[in-house]
Amino acid sequence: MATTRQIIIKTENLSYCYGPHGPVLHNVSLEIARGECVAIIGQNGAGKSTLVKHFNGLHKPTSGKVYVHGRETGPLKVSTLAETVGYVFQNPDHQIFHDTVGKEVAFGLKNLGIPAAETEARVAAALEAVGLAGHYHTYPFNLSKGQRQRVALASVLAMQTEVIVLDEPTTGQDYRESLQIMEMVRDLNRQGHTIIFITHDMSLVAGYAGRAVVVCKGEILADGDVRAIFAQPQLLERTYLNPPQVTALAQGLREDALPPAVLSVEEMYGLLCKIRSERAGS
Amino acid sequence: MLLAILEISNFTFSYPRSPQPALKDINLRVAKGEFIGITGPTGAGKSTLASCLNGIIPHFQGGTAQGQISLQGSSIFERSTAQISRVVGSVFQDPEAQIICTEVEQELAFGLENLGFEPAEIERRIAVALDMVGITALRYWPTVALSGGQKQRVAIAAALAMLPEILVLDEPTSELDPMGTEDIFRVLTKLNQEYGITVIIIEQKTEHLAAHAGRIVILHNGEIAMDGEPWQVFSQQEALAAIGVRIPQVAQLARMLGGNSKETLPLTVEEGRRFLERMLRR
Repeated sequence: MATTRQIIIKTENLSYCYGPHGPVLHNVSLEIARGECVAIIGQNGAGKSTLVKHFNGLHKPTSGKVYVHGRETGPLKVSTLAETVGYVFQNPDHQIFHDTVGKEVAFGLKNLGIPAAETEARVAAALEAVGLAGHYHTYPFNLSKGQRQRVALASVLAMQTEVIVLDEPTTGQDYRESLQIMEMVRDLNRQGHTIIFITHDMSLVAGYAGRAVVVCKGEILADGDVRAIFAQPQLLERTYLNPPQVTALAQGLREDALPPAVLSVEEMYGLLCKIRSERAGS
Repeated sequence: MLLAILEISNFTFSYPRSPQPALKDINLRVAKGEFIGITGPTGAGKSTLASCLNGIIPHFQGGTAQGQISLQGSSIFERSTAQISRVVGSVFQDPEAQIICTEVEQELAFGLENLGFEPAEIERRIAVALDMVGITALRYWPTVALSGGQKQRVAIAAALAMLPEILVLDEPTSELDPMGTEDIFRVLTKLNQEYGITVIIIEQKTEHLAAHAGRIVILHNGEIAMDGEPWQVFSQQEALAAIGVRIPQVAQLARMLGGNSKETLPLTVEEGRRFLERMLRR
């Protein structure tokens, strides 16, 4: 079944300056289609957060244009864009302000005018999804930072926006919590939501994203299929990123029988078993 | 074992109004010059343990403690935090929260001035600490202009200016990109190997711990679940998975291929490459 690629977010020569200093983003042109799962990667200070904050109107371009569903964001309010693009902040404390977890998660829905009964149902489902079902009445600041991050995630889940942007969703989470969050993100993507996430954890990029956009000094250095990006170790090195351990291991072996980028331990194991049995047979 | 610089014996700690102890019957003997990585899931008691080592518990936090922690042979509970700070330097998760001065030099001078050192001694110590961490060139920089990795190195240098024998670091790389993380681990390895500083680091990034630490301690539900050399700990993969600790990808792969001893369980990309080359040649 052929479906046409529907562009949901587009930036055109986007530049952005904070104050009088040089631009933080420089001529960024990017298209993200409905249903994609895109990782934005790059070193601290590269401009990743600044870029994604343009997708829901938290930033407006200094020059150039940003379109969401073909509408230019310049004149649109953040609250209008919030109906399409949900945004989970890196620091949950920039986002949380209600005195109970339940009210916090319900806040955005009230603003959208969702009826009370549906709001309750959506809040319950979102808290269940992030593993905080028993915390409806908890004061958010009595939770751990990792838990507060999941409250912030639940608020965005409850909105059921077409696009969900997550700025370092697993920072400060332990391994199991990180995987839980990423599994949740994968489910949302499978249900048709477009996902854009920032991370420094390259194994999460390899495991969960289809496409990676490498941001370096305010520009897009590379953009493509995750496997194609990880097949370029020199490119990653230039932007101070390390590929996942297993990817680096496969590349260091210089075996012709291995592809230019291996993305998981299981994949590598399968390839090695094949090489071994072929050599045993010859 | 060599002389213990720090010894925790039968130590149990509970926060005020908390029914469950945060740490249960901890026994940990640290020899001078060790590099210990502590990891475990959220809520395991890692940060509580770090706070016990630098005197934040019990001096600034209430709660009840049983058992003993001795620092250089005498009880940590009988020393003031100022006395402890001359032996134990602390670095926390978020350098933004730790750095208070506007210039790097002032940041390093701050603790020394508080302890009443002479200007000439302050000067000497600042120069030594900057050199040890490799940031002499940043001495007169405004702290706001530093990258995340640089800020964290300033925080380490500020702790070193007190000439501590032990550095305790609580997730110092969680906000850093892969390169910034690698920088911090390289600095710690140098401090440990060249200056004999005992390093105790709490960290989720087990691939870095496996490469740099000489000993790994796994905390789980307030108790020490494992304590040993990296290969000993990371060969117990089923138990680690049950606790929720991430296993380095190279070690996962090697285990699938039958590696399980000190000689056959590689932990770093380089060790993994040698392991696989041997295996493929056979």
